[in-house]
This record gives sequence, C-alpha cells and structure tokens, in this order.
Amino acid sequence: MKVSLKQSQYFWLSAISLGVIILVWHLCTDVFEIKPPDIFPGPTEILETFIEKLYSRRPDGATLLVHLGASLYVTMVGYLLGAVIGIPLGIAMAWNRYVDKIVKPLFDLLRPVPGIAWIPLFILLFGIGTFSKALVIFLGALVACVVNTFTGIRQTKEVHLWVGDIFGATRTQKLFKIAIPTAIPMIFTGLRVALGMSWAALVAAELLASNIGLGYMIQQSRALSRTDIIIVGMISIGIVGAVLDKVLHIIEVRVAKGMNAE
Amino acid sequence: MKTTRIRSEHLSTLMWGSASIGSFLVIWYVLTQTTRLGTLIPGPDIVLISLFKGIFGQVGRHSILMHAVYSLGRVLAGFIIGSALGVTVGLIMGWSRVAEAIMAPLYRIIRPIPPIAWIPISIIWFGLGESAKIFLIFLASFANVTLNAWSGARNVDRQLIGAAKMLGANQRQIFFSIVLPSSVPQIFAGLQVAMSSSWSTVLAAEMVRSSEGLGWMIVTGMNNNDIVQILTGIVAIGVVGFLLANIMRNLEAVLCRWNKSGQ
Repeated sequence: MKVSLKQSQYFWLSAISLGVIILVWHLCTDVFEIKPPDIFPGPTEILETFIEKLYSRRPDGATLLVHLGASLYVTMVGYLLGAVIGIPLGIAMAWNRYVDKIVKPLFDLLRPVPGIAWIPLFILLFGIGTFSKALVIFLGALVACVVNTFTGIRQTKEVHLWVGDIFGATRTQKLFKIAIPTAIPMIFTGLRVALGMSWAALVAAELLASNIGLGYMIQQSRALSRTDIIIVGMISIGIVGAVLDKVLHIIEVRVAKGMNAE
Repeated sequence: MKTTRIRSEHLSTLMWGSASIGSFLVIWYVLTQTTRLGTLIPGPDIVLISLFKGIFGQVGRHSILMHAVYSLGRVLAGFIIGSALGVTVGLIMGWSRVAEAIMAPLYRIIRPIPPIAWIPISIIWFGLGESAKIFLIFLASFANVTLNAWSGARNVDRQLIGAAKMLGANQRQIFFSIVLPSSVPQIFAGLQVAMSSSWSTVLAAEMVRSSEGLGWMIVTGMNNNDIVQILTGIVAIGVVGFLLANIMRNLEAVLCRWNKSGQ
C-alpha cells in the first residue's frame, strides 16, 4: 500500500513539474513578452496555430495532416523496403560464409556513410520526388537492419546448434528453429533503430529539397519567420516518431514473447 | 597450430574483401566507360583523382582536409558540452527518484524530436553562425547520452548498494564508488550512438546553411550540378565517419577493459 501511495506522489510531482514549465513559458512569452513572439511564441499561440493548421492551407500550401501523410508515406516505402531486403541479407551474411565474405566488404564500405549524406547525390540524379527520398531512407534502414540481424544470428549459442545436430536437424532446420528465434530481439532492435533513423533522414531530405511534408513545412515557415508553425511542426514530428516507435514496440512484445530482455 | 589457422582465416578474408571491392570498382568503371551510365555518374578513377587533388588542394575556399576539420570542430564542441551535461542529468535522474519525477517529463517530450528537426528554429534563435550548429550537436549528443546514463544508474545491482550500506558507506560514497562506475559501460554505449548521431546531424546542418564543412561540400556539388564533388565528399564523409566510430570503440576498449560486454 505504501509503495502505491508513493507512486502516485511521484506522478503528481511530474505533473506539477510539467505545469510549472508551461506556466513559466507562458509568463515569459505571453505575459511579460521577454522575446517577441516571432522568435519565441507562447504556449497559447502554439495551440491556436496547431488548431488553425489542421484546416488552413496557409502559408505553405497544405494542411498539417496532408504534410504528415506525405512524410509518412515516403518513410514507410523506404523503411519497409530496407527491412524486407536488409533482414534476409543480414541472415544470409551471418549464416553463409561465402555471402559474408563477398557482401560484407562492400557493406563495410557503405556503412560509415550516414544516410543523410546521400541526399544531394540522389536529388541530383533522380529529382526531388518520392523516389530519391525513399532511396535515402532505404539505404539508412538497410544498414541498420543488416547490422543488427547479423549480430543477432551470430549470437546463437554453439551448444544450441550442437543440440540440433544431435537430434539430426538439417542446416535449414537449425537456421529456422534455432538461429532466427535467437536473433529476433536483435532484429527488432534493428527495426527500431532503423525507424528512428528513417524518420530523421526524411526530415533532413525535406528540409533540403521538397514541395510537401513536415520538413518542408518547417523550412518554409523559417523563411516566413513563422516560429509558431515551426514549433507545431517539430512537436508533430516528435509525436509521430514516438507513436511509430511505440507501435513497433507493441509488435515486438507480441512477436518476441519472453525472448526479450526488456 | 591455432595461430596459423587464424592467420590463414585473416588472409582469406582479406583476399575475398579485396576481390569483392575490386570487382565492384571494375564493374563501376566498365559501366561508366561503355554504357549511358557514364553520362550520369563519373567513374571511380575520376572520383579518386578528385579526392587526392582535393585533400590539400581547393574545394570552394578550403581543402577537403580543412572542410573536415571545420565539421569535426563543430561536432567536438557540441559533443563535449552535450555529453557532459547528459551524463550529469542522466545519473541524477537514475539516482534520485524525486529528480527523475521532476526532470523526466520535459526530457520525454524533447527526446523524440530528431535533432535535425531543430535546424530551422536554431537558425532563428542563434543565426547562421557556429552557435546554431553547436546547439544542434549538443541536442543530438545530450538526448542519447542522458538516456543511457539514466538507465545505467537505474539498473545498478541492488545487492551491491545493500552491501555498501551494510559496510557503512554514506550516500556520496555509494554514488561515486558504485553507481558511477557500474554505469560506465552503458554511458560509453550512449557516447558511441551520440557520436554517430552528431556526425550525421552536423552534415544536415551544414547542408541547410553554412559556408564550409563536408556537408557544405556535397550540397554545393548538388547546387552546381557537380557529381564528382558530391561523390568525393561522400567518400570523405565515409572515411571520417569510419575513423570516428573506430576511435570511440578503441576508447571504450581501453577505458572499460574490465568490462566483458565492452568487447
């Protein structure tokens, strides 16, 4: 009983802390106007802008939800392709010596280049459309998925494989019954890392060259000094990133029943 | 017997590696020479020559080496401030539940926003100079380091703390001789993630607005329709990224030699 009481006290402490932060923010901006609102807008202004942006196309040509949909679509195309190719590639590299020896050097060449660095090349070659952005995300997601899947499969315990040998399992059976289940938590780690990276890389691509999307929205608002829209955009980017991560975590808990350390 | 086997294994990896990379370069070269691909991208020979010319020569106003130094300087400044503050805040949150309850909500709101999304507002707040970029790197490293220091300090073995209490250690002694050392491996994992995140953030910041640095180099290549400069820049970025990752890994191996998971 005493513990649960304490838990609720901590909860109230958190709530008060958040309330104080918003109150100080409100006092600094809306009440005392320490900084002009086009540099540091207050919480009420941001809330108003958020509601207004839900239906208003001004000043950047689309509503918040349209920008959001465009960003999500590109991210998902690149990310899913990266996962669908990256995970089997990682498994093949870890399981087959020859794939490892041929593909790994090329892969090690690609790995240290952050996905963001490909943006100028792809924009120049393929234009500012969906394809070049999806390709940037694909490369970033591919690297994260391959690295983590590879590590996961390599973590398979020798002893477990010996048990498989004793019971006469074929190599394919050992892969599907022993190695892949061992690797599942690591594969999910890779998927989560890749998702976070994809989302950030997309924002970067949209900042540089785009005509729609959340990154485009905040970049346009900077040119117009609409700080309130920038902050609405940033918060939306943060919320969507957190929600995507949460969804993946729920799937992870379902799929990796009891396999995960967390 | 065993060493010769390991050595021959090394040799075969090396041979396969050079064969694989070599054939990749040859295919790239042949394709650019014989097909229409050559009108789109330059061959590897041109990129390599441009890289060697540029290292001490001129790309824009500086050599590639100086561009790398500019980018690295920004990373270093933001990384040191961000990780120092991140370790402190993370350890305090992991150590004291009251501090956690007060600070965690704000941290949880800020953390999911990628540092790259801060670029436009950092330009409004800090202008186009160095401080905007250092602020971004600060955010990138702070978010990652705090998370790891926090979970490191929270997951300290309770038995160790109990044992120390039984032996009469006070709170300060417990913190400095148990909580801090046992969080170090986690903190190092955070520092590594923070470093790679900082490196890609500085590139993004330089691509959006700057007048020097490797990110500037590739984005200028894009604006001038100069694919050789972009590819040269990407190679340079890859080399620096590789060196940074290796330095962080070696630093961990040296400083956390006692920790097995550090391997």
